[in-house]
Amino acid sequence: MSPASSSVAVSDQFPAGLRVLVVDDDPIWLRILEKMLRKCLYEVTKCNRAEIALDMLRMSKNGYDIVISDVHMPDMDGFKLHEQVGLEMDLPVIMMSVDGCTQDVMKGVTHGACNYLLKPIRIKELRNIWQHVAQQPKPFEESDDSYSVNQGNWRTSNRRKDEEEEAEKRDDTSTLKKPRFLVS
Amino acid sequence: MNSNQLQHQVLYMRRSLFDQGYLDSEQLIQLEDLQDDANPNFVEEVVSLFYSDSARLIQNIEQTLSNRPVDFSRLDDILHQFKGSCSSIGAKKVKDACSQFREYCNAGNAEGCSRSFQLIKQEYETLRRRLESYFQMVKQAKAA
Repeated sequence: MSPASSSVAVSDQFPAGLRVLVVDDDPIWLRILEKMLRKCLYEVTKCNRAEIALDMLRMSKNGYDIVISDVHMPDMDGFKLHEQVGLEMDLPVIMMSVDGCTQDVMKGVTHGACNYLLKPIRIKELRNIWQHVAQQPKPFEESDDSYSVNQGNWRTSNRRKDEEEEAEKRDDTSTLKKPRFLVS
Repeated sequence: MNSNQLQHQVLYMRRSLFDQGYLDSEQLIQLEDLQDDANPNFVEEVVSLFYSDSARLIQNIEQTLSNRPVDFSRLDDILHQFKGSCSSIGAKKVKDACSQFREYCNAGNAEGCSRSFQLIKQEYETLRRRLESYFQMVKQAKAA
């Protein structure tokens, strides 16, 4: 499967071989997610520690297409992981949690998560994750249990504006990031 | 019992687990859907993993509750993990007991936490027994 930066064939079927790194300190969920993702024909790597996940991502720069990570982990705050991944690797990150309180979701959004899934996670929610990797923003199929942040919300445009302003100050347009959020 | 009767028993036990609120039906079905030739006993495997992993969480709660002063923040952390695990197998009653515990935790009520903890352990063991019987019946029905 080609790296995230090159074009991915946009089709109705999810691409087999999408390389997913799933990070969760809960061994049961890690096992279930692995099975579910494999059923989606994705290539799955499991990891139970955020620090290790970061190392793996750094060691294999183009080795993964997308990261799915739990928010509450003992060694590193899941939000911090997402921030790092977003900054260093420019990979889409999906967050997971057992709680869906608005605070956490918004925190996820501001840390760069492209989606937020609530446990118990259904396989149908995982079937669509490839859309976050595709170049073109595609209509994103929402399921009842996922908070999708693609409603073209004010948060997105504000964040982009901030980044643009900052880039202008530095007179450096290369730091302008493509918007992470898919707009339907 | 013959094959049909065994099947009937399996369905009856399954229905009871749902109707009596022990298990979330959707989650069980999701797990069953993941069973295949490579992992024909995936559900049992996951349940087994749940019980072996959560044993340490129970121990941690026990330990933290016995320390003085009670570290409610730590307790809340552990319970949060426990809730997450419960959702993996759809352990409804256990999960609800955890929620109740967390409420007492947030209120700084150690006595309430202790009582909730007793309930958690109770539901946890009851579910274990019920699931063990259920899996046994499933195996018998398969063999028949």
